[in-house]
Amino acid sequence: MGNINKLTAVARIKWICISRNTAIMVGPVITVAMVLAYKVIYGMNTDGELSPILAGMLLSLGISMNICMDGFLMVGTAIAEEKEKHTLRVLMTSSITGVQYFIGSILFPFALTVGVNFVVLAVSGVSIGQASIVAFLLLSAAASLISCVIGMVVGICAKNQMNANLIAYPLMLVFMMVPMFGNFSEGLHKLSGFLFTGVLTEMAYGFANGEPYVAKPLDIAVLVGELVISILVFLILYKRNGFEKD
Amino acid sequence: MERDVLLQLSHISKRYHMETALKDINITLHKGEILGFLGPSGAGKTTTIKIITGQLRQTSGEGKILGVDTTNIDDSIYEKIGVVSDNSGIYEKMTVWQNLSMFAQIWRVPNKRVEETLKQVGLLEHKKKQAGKLSKGQGQRLVLARAVLHKPRILFLDEPTSGLDPSTAVAIHKMLLDLKEEGMSIFLTTHNMEEAAKLCDNVALLYQGKIVEFGPPQEICLKYNKKKRYQVLLNSKKEVVLEQSQETAAKISEWMANDEIQRLHSCEPTLESVFLQVTGSALNI
Repeated sequence: MGNINKLTAVARIKWICISRNTAIMVGPVITVAMVLAYKVIYGMNTDGELSPILAGMLLSLGISMNICMDGFLMVGTAIAEEKEKHTLRVLMTSSITGVQYFIGSILFPFALTVGVNFVVLAVSGVSIGQASIVAFLLLSAAASLISCVIGMVVGICAKNQMNANLIAYPLMLVFMMVPMFGNFSEGLHKLSGFLFTGVLTEMAYGFANGEPYVAKPLDIAVLVGELVISILVFLILYKRNGFEKD
Repeated sequence: MERDVLLQLSHISKRYHMETALKDINITLHKGEILGFLGPSGAGKTTTIKIITGQLRQTSGEGKILGVDTTNIDDSIYEKIGVVSDNSGIYEKMTVWQNLSMFAQIWRVPNKRVEETLKQVGLLEHKKKQAGKLSKGQGQRLVLARAVLHKPRILFLDEPTSGLDPSTAVAIHKMLLDLKEEGMSIFLTTHNMEEAAKLCDNVALLYQGKIVEFGPPQEICLKYNKKKRYQVLLNSKKEVVLEQSQETAAKISEWMANDEIQRLHSCEPTLESVFLQVTGSALNI
């Protein structure tokens, strides 16, 4: 019971801090607005109807942007803000364990990321009937979890919010841009297949083309592998310095 | 009867590579006692607090807090102690009330206690105010309120009045003395010797990682009062400093009989002058 109390308290703290940070909260809004705007612009000459390739592109753009911005930035910046305002040490000297802080920190961003992915799916122009909701939920959840863990790595490395952005942006470029431009280059397309965001965009294009999603062994290996790697990196950094280097 | 020992450090040392931060620290803190760690910046005060509260591990020596070895303490120790560091922050985007209620949830403290604590630190009327809009003194009182919310057995305070205006510092001193009356033990680090003399039952003078003197402030001052002197201000506005002697006693007695004395003070050393005498270095640096 005590552990649940502590976990809920950390999640409440994170919810308040993140939801009142305009710089972070603008991320999901921009993602949805951008997908909507593109949909309207692309659909101007076709009475709002989008070709499968365009709808797939919008869905993949929206979900990869959402996953990278929300996960990496939201989680990472929130930890960095706690370091900057000297509240992280206060929390860690209040009987909160590392595990409770970890789970409490990613709960809200994780739920938001998965939720916004569904909003993006609804506004992207891909017919909901064409998408396998269960597959979308599972892959969205797995990818959101990986991005949140990477966000924890960003947070543990960053000294302040500015620093968190500097660390997160190169990661965002790789995980967001490679799958987005995968259609323009064979090399990028191959590389995209080894990224968790690439697995997600592949699924998005499949939905847009009306193909049912079937999990390939490589997709599962990529998702599980990248989750394990990100957790290991986090644990190594945490073992070395805790959440904050002394 | 021997009072409860809540904290005991025996021969604690801490080395960072080639640099020695603490050398052979020995202290004991009893229930309802205020212990002051007095020393200039870099003397090792914060390092000591971090070792005691499990944020750092000592190189050698043994420390026990509430009966538990400091090298074996886990996060649950923070349910029994309160920590205020020199840069403890507050959640600026939350209200004053929320800042405490979050921690009340962590420590399973009822809301009634939150209200009681806010009242104690004089922030109850500001409970709906955003914490970021509090003045520095109010913010420090909020930090203190959070640290005592769960009624810890030991309160660690690292420079609690540093940079505060005198009236806020006095308010915090009063609060600390009230907490002491309630039976809370306080481990206080400061470089303000007046604060230490006013609040502490015992002080440890720390210099370059070593305790150079330990004991009640008054006893330490009297111990170094080798040459007794008296400062006298006469009605004629003449101020004289006289050394203890038969002649001085007779002179003061005569002035008193003639009602010529306006002010009479003994000139025992202050903690600062003792520190200077023992270390050859000033305290407030």
